[in-house]
Amino acid sequence: MMMNCDQYREAIAADPSFDGGAGHLSECSSCQAYRKEMLELNQRISRALALDVPELDVPELPAIETDNVVTLPTRKLSSPVWIAMAATVVLAAFVGFRMIGGGVEYPTLADELLAHIDHEHASLVVTNVAVSDERLTSVVPGDIARLDHSAGLITYAQSCVIGGHSVPHLVIQGEHGPVTILLMPDEMVSGPQRITGESVNGVILPVGDGSIAIFGEREESLDRIGKKVLDSVTWST
Amino acid sequence: MHSSKAAALRRQRFDQYVGVYHQDMYRYAAWLSRDKAIAEDVVQEALLRAWKSLDALRDENLAKQWLLTIVRRENARYFERKRLETVDIDNLTASQAALLAVEDDKELDDMRQAIYELDDDYREPLVLQVLMGFSTNEIAEQMGLKQGAVLTRLHRARAKLAEKME
Repeated sequence: MMMNCDQYREAIAADPSFDGGAGHLSECSSCQAYRKEMLELNQRISRALALDVPELDVPELPAIETDNVVTLPTRKLSSPVWIAMAATVVLAAFVGFRMIGGGVEYPTLADELLAHIDHEHASLVVTNVAVSDERLTSVVPGDIARLDHSAGLITYAQSCVIGGHSVPHLVIQGEHGPVTILLMPDEMVSGPQRITGESVNGVILPVGDGSIAIFGEREESLDRIGKKVLDSVTWST
Repeated sequence: MHSSKAAALRRQRFDQYVGVYHQDMYRYAAWLSRDKAIAEDVVQEALLRAWKSLDALRDENLAKQWLLTIVRRENARYFERKRLETVDIDNLTASQAALLAVEDDKELDDMRQAIYELDDDYREPLVLQVLMGFSTNEIAEQMGLKQGAVLTRLHRARAKLAEKME
């Protein structure tokens, strides 16, 4: 269907690089003029936004222990050898590789979770805006789990695929920043699994026939958050 | 791998990212905070945090987005700590006014002022789109919004700027 003037102007004002609506544009001189106006406005905005930048002043950087940090893979799907499994309980729960949709392989559940969190790093935002109840209900449907709000302010909710299963991916606001929670009713682990490293602080907790993964900032107390989360979640299956 | 070599490679990788994206980090921080001095503090904190969590970045293609996300979080933390009041455009501090300083270019000055006065909800997606080159999908991801909401905010932001610049 051909766009009308309002639709075209809304689209071009939202994104001056919009290249749809050619049919309408070729026949509407008024919108041609509007498009030109928007492109000119955008140039002026661009120029105004380009503030002078002071000389780079890199702060003093603390030494990072690199014994457990081997050269980093450039692709997120490579084996994350930098993870130091601090193994108060180390589990040989998975032998061989885990396969998920698309044929991507991960050596362990922890590897897959970390790769997933990297992929959705935009979820890690400090905010006080909670997701809506409707959103939460659609991401954590009653046939997966019942969830009350006692764990903390839930600011992100998304259905994601872990181990080939759709699982709720939530973010709550911890004391030191966003905390990621993945509810995995189909991922059984036989004991708590700590995952620590230079920039990783996580735990996978067994819950019934499944597990819950919690990842936060290095300073975050995951024991306290873990207890709250366990109290707030009940599997439906 | 020997730890000193690993450390050197780590530092090299960090310096590469900072060299490429420092300007974007500063400008993003400046337009989020609307204050030159705060932007510099936020970037310093963001650089420290990026250094500490560099190993979490596993896909170099996402480096820019990753660094800007850190800037966004550090800016939020800064304002959370300081609990700053809303900026009063008529009573700017020297540092806030410094952000707007333009020499002998009234049009640029007016546009900068107009952008400065936009609500955060409108200014941020505009910065991400025009300055950072993000698609509306990427902006939606960065800001935790639906794409439709981003389009609406961008449309309204430009309408407000066009009106002010008339």
